[in-house]
Amino acid sequence: MTGRVPLFEAEGIVMRFGGVVALRKVSVTQFEGETLGMIGPNGSGKTTFVNVVTGHLAPQEGRVRVAGAEVTGFRPHRMAAAGITRTYQAVRVFRELTVADNIATATVDAPNRMDADEIAATLDWLQLGHRLAVPAGSLTLFEQRRLEILMRLVQRARLIMLDEPVGGLSATEVRAMLQVLGDLRRRTGLFVIEHAMKVIRELADSVVVMLAGEKLMQGTPAEILADKRVVDQYLGRAHA
Amino acid sequence: MTDALRKHGRGLLVFAVAAYALPLLLAGNRYFAFIGGIALLHVVWTAGMSLLYGYAGLMPLMFAGIAGISAYAAVGLMAAGFAFWTALPVAALFAALVGVGLGLPALRLKGFYFTLCSLVIQTVITLAFVYFVNLTNGDTGISQIAPPAWFGGPLQGVGFDLVLATLAVGAMVALVLIVEAPFGRRLVAVREDDELAEMLGIDVVRQKLAAFFVGSLFAAVGGAFYAPYVGFVSPRSFDVLLSLNIWLMVAFGGRGTIWGAVVGTVLLAPLPFLLQDYYKVKDVIYGLLIIGVIVLLPGGILGGLGSRAAAGTGTQSPGLRRKEAA
Ligand SMILES: Nc1ncnc2c1ncn2[C@@H]1O[C@H](COP(=O)(O)OP(=O)(O)OP(=O)(O)O)[C@@H](O)[C@H]1O
Ligand SMILES: [Mg+2]
Repeated sequence: MTGRVPLFEAEGIVMRFGGVVALRKVSVTQFEGETLGMIGPNGSGKTTFVNVVTGHLAPQEGRVRVAGAEVTGFRPHRMAAAGITRTYQAVRVFRELTVADNIATATVDAPNRMDADEIAATLDWLQLGHRLAVPAGSLTLFEQRRLEILMRLVQRARLIMLDEPVGGLSATEVRAMLQVLGDLRRRTGLFVIEHAMKVIRELADSVVVMLAGEKLMQGTPAEILADKRVVDQYLGRAHA
Repeated sequence: MTDALRKHGRGLLVFAVAAYALPLLLAGNRYFAFIGGIALLHVVWTAGMSLLYGYAGLMPLMFAGIAGISAYAAVGLMAAGFAFWTALPVAALFAALVGVGLGLPALRLKGFYFTLCSLVIQTVITLAFVYFVNLTNGDTGISQIAPPAWFGGPLQGVGFDLVLATLAVGAMVALVLIVEAPFGRRLVAVREDDELAEMLGIDVVRQKLAAFFVGSLFAAVGGAFYAPYVGFVSPRSFDVLLSLNIWLMVAFGGRGTIWGAVVGTVLLAPLPFLLQDYYKVKDVIYGLLIIGVIVLLPGGILGGLGSRAAAGTGTQSPGLRRKEAA
């Protein structure tokens, strides 16, 4: 691993929704050059954590730092400017706009955006070049997920937080997506929430295990898979 | 910028020819010419509403109120001795700023809630027109508003109609330039999915604010010209029905299309005058039109055509390089 320069540092994050405590003093640091995974049962706070780091939610306690600067409570457009972006658990593109317009929209307020040649090359790589004139809503789910990634890449995001990137994909598509993500992690920082252990095992250098809003443990995929608590609490049911 | 003009050049040219021809063709009948002038004035308003509703996805029911503030301000300044051409920019800027100030709380709201809030604001503005009798002459309104001066004489008749034609053409050119600029792309993103737009780096609140200011300026400029053109203003001239009518013209013609608003205006702006003798059924017809548009024509007359045309341009150019260059 290079340097040990943090991409983001989340420290003691507490996020409450009325009576529900979705995050209880969660601290996570992701370093440059490392792919971080996050697993945990439904409702354990994974999406909420991404919402806090990317500025969708302002936490009641704790702080988020990016490149050493405090960014807690920044709105998402400022997080995007700082290079921190995310995809959504339910795929999200501008469905009525063409693929070309989706991409153009992603570049309109991205100061560090790719030039036209780089965009063309990235389009080729993600095999979306022939779909430019199609409304994004009529793409297949797999294509929409690739478009989501493309729209972050053209901004030259430093970190893309992927919320269940293979959710809803067929077995063949999952394999193809794994290849895409394998290449992607060489281009940019990746944070991956997944239930599919296969994805986590192949991609993540380090895995955060969430349980009921708390960070249960963190370790390499091998380490967490060997932990009895993880096996009992989570994999016992979800491992497939 | 030149790209935008090239793309819509033919449309703008056709519109300009029609706009200037209209007053000349109707010059023989002052009543029809007046209706034509009113329609041209409405083009300025629908261009602003098109920006707000068609592109930014906001339905501002205080649109007429802002036009009214500008109209009263212009009349007040003229009464205080200022020339119309001095009063115009001052009144328009003042009204647009007041509009933004009043709209500020509403701009944090989405969709239906924004519309509801804007309805309340419009109601307050109308009440203010009635209440501040010293400034507005209350319900009675202000009549015999003097025409603007124009090369030594008063601006009236065909001359005024042609000035309104120039104004309408200017409004459409401005709309094309705004919509084709990166600003237009941001507004469409906000309309389609504001949360996603924000995530992609677009400052949603700021874009809405800017759109609201520019849209209000269209409302205000139209309002300032309305006063001397019609020669009479009252709280009823700028009530919520005007906001709804202008909205209807945009929705009827085709939301999010440049020329839809113009088509809607041409078809609907003369209606109140042509139906003047059937005053009772007028509101019924409007009600039916509003329901008809919402239920039968959610995309407006040009809506279907517009999306087909958009798909067409997509195939011939990836759009990327063009946008990159812009
Ligand atoms: N906006 C919200 N308002 C109220 N409660 C919320 C909100 N967002 C999340 N929660 C609650 O916070 C808890 C954590 O939810 P979260 O979506 O972060 O879980 P998750 O780990 O992503 O689950 P999943 O695997 O199902 O996606 C849940 O109890 C959820 O109901
Ligand atoms: Mg989730």
